[in-house]
Amino acid sequence: MTGTVSPAVAQVTAIEASLFVFVVLTALATAFARDVLAAVIVFGAYSLGMAALYTFYRAPDVAMTEAAISAGVTTVLLLLTLAKTTRIDHEAVFESVNYPAAGAAGLLFAGLAITMVDVPAVGSPDAPVWSNPDVTQWYLAETYAETGVENTVMAVLAAFRGFDTFGEAVVVFAAGIAALIVLRREVFA
Amino acid sequence: MSDAPDVDAGGRGDESGGRDDAGGKRDADDGGRDDDRSGSADPPRRSGRLDSETRQGTPYTESQVIMSTVKVVSPFAFTYGLFVTFHGGGSPGGGFQGGAIMAAVVFMIAFAFGIEATRQWLANTVVVALAVGGTLAFAAIGLLPVALGGAFLQYDLLPLPILDPVKYGMEAVEIIGIAAIVSGVLMGLFFVLARGFNGEDSGPSIGERDPFSDGESPEDGDGVATDGGER
Amino acid sequence: MSVVDATLGAGYTVGDFLLIVAAGFVVLAIGMLYRAVKGPTMQDRVLAVNVLGTNTVVILAILGAALSEPTFLDIALVYALLNFLMAIAISKFTVERGGVL
Repeated sequence: MTGTVSPAVAQVTAIEASLFVFVVLTALATAFARDVLAAVIVFGAYSLGMAALYTFYRAPDVAMTEAAISAGVTTVLLLLTLAKTTRIDHEAVFESVNYPAAGAAGLLFAGLAITMVDVPAVGSPDAPVWSNPDVTQWYLAETYAETGVENTVMAVLAAFRGFDTFGEAVVVFAAGIAALIVLRREVFA
Repeated sequence: MSDAPDVDAGGRGDESGGRDDAGGKRDADDGGRDDDRSGSADPPRRSGRLDSETRQGTPYTESQVIMSTVKVVSPFAFTYGLFVTFHGGGSPGGGFQGGAIMAAVVFMIAFAFGIEATRQWLANTVVVALAVGGTLAFAAIGLLPVALGGAFLQYDLLPLPILDPVKYGMEAVEIIGIAAIVSGVLMGLFFVLARGFNGEDSGPSIGERDPFSDGESPEDGDGVATDGGER
Repeated sequence: MSVVDATLGAGYTVGDFLLIVAAGFVVLAIGMLYRAVKGPTMQDRVLAVNVLGTNTVVILAILGAALSEPTFLDIALVYALLNFLMAIAISKFTVERGGVL
């Protein structure tokens, strides 16, 4: 955040605000859509907004993961699952609200929203990330010298916490095996 | 969906009669669609049940628009997936994202040219080899430094002759480890979901050899039959 | 000092202007969301999600220009290539609701 003049801040909040509105609207529509296919489609739109938001917050790796996984994979897998189920025809666009469930969700949201007060602003110099700048600056400054790659995210993933990444990779592999077991197959075909 | 009642009627009759009936009907249907499906080649696998016919093995209709567009788009998308995988060190991306993009290209091809045709082209061996090989490669790269007296994934101990072992060890983990696992597992999930749940005619399932599903397939068949009867 | 930092007037730079344009595209996306949610037929929804995807590609490209981050274009490319997959998947699915894939 180099633009510290007030007009720049104003516009930053403009695009942030519009993206937030978009994301919240798509999330609500996904939750309340009566037709499952419509919910899947709107969920795709939600991922579009989330990717734009991640991108705006300078997290291009997360945004690319969101793009590749949700646009390319999740929608297709959900559609394939829907193709195996039967459809219930309804005229209504939205599901009728289940008030106890909505109340529980609202309480959870309120509990999480209380903590939002203490979250530092984006790019704030008071953020805990900067309270020990030796650590963060060390990763940003020394990654290339230590590992020979420029992308700090990839360096952290593959080198600095490589064992965690190995665990994640095995989890993905185990997910494939779990799908085979649940569907009672021996082969992916 | 238009031929669903006919198939259902065939399925509720005598078991063998229903099978023949459905097989003949499918062959008649396939006449118009040329030989896109290999289904007409193996009639004994057909059961005549509604769900297995119209749900589990979804027939394929070709669309000229989608096929031509996918022919144009998929090479670029696959190349871009390779770029994201191989260039993860210098730009956003990496093995996970690139593997997902490459798997998405396979989904694209499957939607355009038929899931069955893609399944035959991309055999189960390839998918499993990608997933298992990726995991084993990652584990091997991680454990090799341990064998040489270092720590897990201590890249600078990797015996690479000319190249920088840290950089190319990381690239190897991303490319032949994570990208292979992710693309293999996602393709496998796609194929196994497209096949559906334990249909009798839906390819090799665990079937008789497995102790869990011994004697469960009749129940499955009954469940499907009542489901079809409700329609 | 790139083009993005050039002053347009009243303290606003080209980058600020591009951010406003991006916000406008997001507002357009919110409008398109109505068609994606309400859309009486599935064809409306397919078209809406396709428009939303293309819109996102434009937003990401503008963000990349406004914030001087050319790597954002990589994400825009991913969407440009995979949005097509989403469109064909949903449109083929709408025919007999997955009866034909």
